[in-house]
Amino acid sequence: MSDESIRHAPPAWLLGLREAIPLLGGYVPVAISFGLIAAQAGFSTWEIAAISTLIYAGASQFLFVGMAAGGAPLWLTVAMTLLINVRHMVYAPNLAPWLTDSRWWPWLMHGLTDQVFALAHARLPQIATPQRLGWFTGAALLAWASWVAGSILGAVAGEWLTRRWPLAGEVMPFALPALFLVLLAPRFTSFRWSLALGVSVIAALALTLGGLTNVSIPLAAACGMLCFHAVRQRPRIAGRKGP
Amino acid sequence: MSGAMWLAVMAAALGTLALRALPLVWMRRRLRRSEDDPGLDAMPPWLGVLGPLMIAALFGVSLVPQRQDPVGWLATLIGLAVTLMAWRRTRTLGWPVMAGVVAFGLVAIVARLG
Repeated sequence: MSDESIRHAPPAWLLGLREAIPLLGGYVPVAISFGLIAAQAGFSTWEIAAISTLIYAGASQFLFVGMAAGGAPLWLTVAMTLLINVRHMVYAPNLAPWLTDSRWWPWLMHGLTDQVFALAHARLPQIATPQRLGWFTGAALLAWASWVAGSILGAVAGEWLTRRWPLAGEVMPFALPALFLVLLAPRFTSFRWSLALGVSVIAALALTLGGLTNVSIPLAAACGMLCFHAVRQRPRIAGRKGP
Repeated sequence: MSGAMWLAVMAAALGTLALRALPLVWMRRRLRRSEDDPGLDAMPPWLGVLGPLMIAALFGVSLVPQRQDPVGWLATLIGLAVTLMAWRRTRTLGWPVMAGVVAFGLVAIVARLG
């Protein structure tokens, strides 16, 4: 990107904020569900806001309030919450080559959810280096704010909202698969990548339908990884038959 | 919430932050070392492959519609087709997502209210 085009571009944080808008379609309905379920489990509105602000991890928050309300030992509740989030460990190293030297980055990783990672992994390499911190801050803050606001809304008016607009809760979450599709489409560049990505998608879908939602992401990615390496080894085997 | 419950929330929050942030600290050190030692791979090759595959897995999980009935699956298929067509035409991020959600919504509304 030239200096001239950077000067005329919108501020980086605003660009990040704008590009994270599709995430809201997936975040807000799920956050409303979380707020509703946590309120029904006996948590107050501000406790729900605190959980969403501090833990900020969708699936594990559902598990946390479910286990806590069910009377499970708290150490086990925390351990299971962290176990679900272990997959997040591979996200930041994948972004590291595009991050600047700023000391803010490790703290900004609080906002590195599945969806923000997917967006940042596709967009950071295309953004000029000085703009990256601002872009990520804008995108991550919007996603975080929408999650917290949606949780509060769910706690206060979740029941009324789901009764009043039942179809909104069904339609809006489609923004997430649509966004992932747009982020993935440019990566189908070769047979090897197409096979590995396709296997990961199908395995994740099958595992989720089979009720294994919490382990489906790392397991499906591992299946894709196996395919990726199997395809690489094929020419070597064929090569042995030659002269 | 009791004091013990607050402690559990803080432990889960700090643990989640550590899972997200500490690998970055490790990777940044590795990147700095690779600048000094050109023989060292900055990014372990498996890690570079795993990133896109995790996104593919996230896509697969998100494909399951809220209501798993024929209408939900049909709306998902049509929504994906429209998203892909819009992406091929515009090569942007926002418009294809909006087109996909509108298509999904139209199918769901027409099928459920019709």
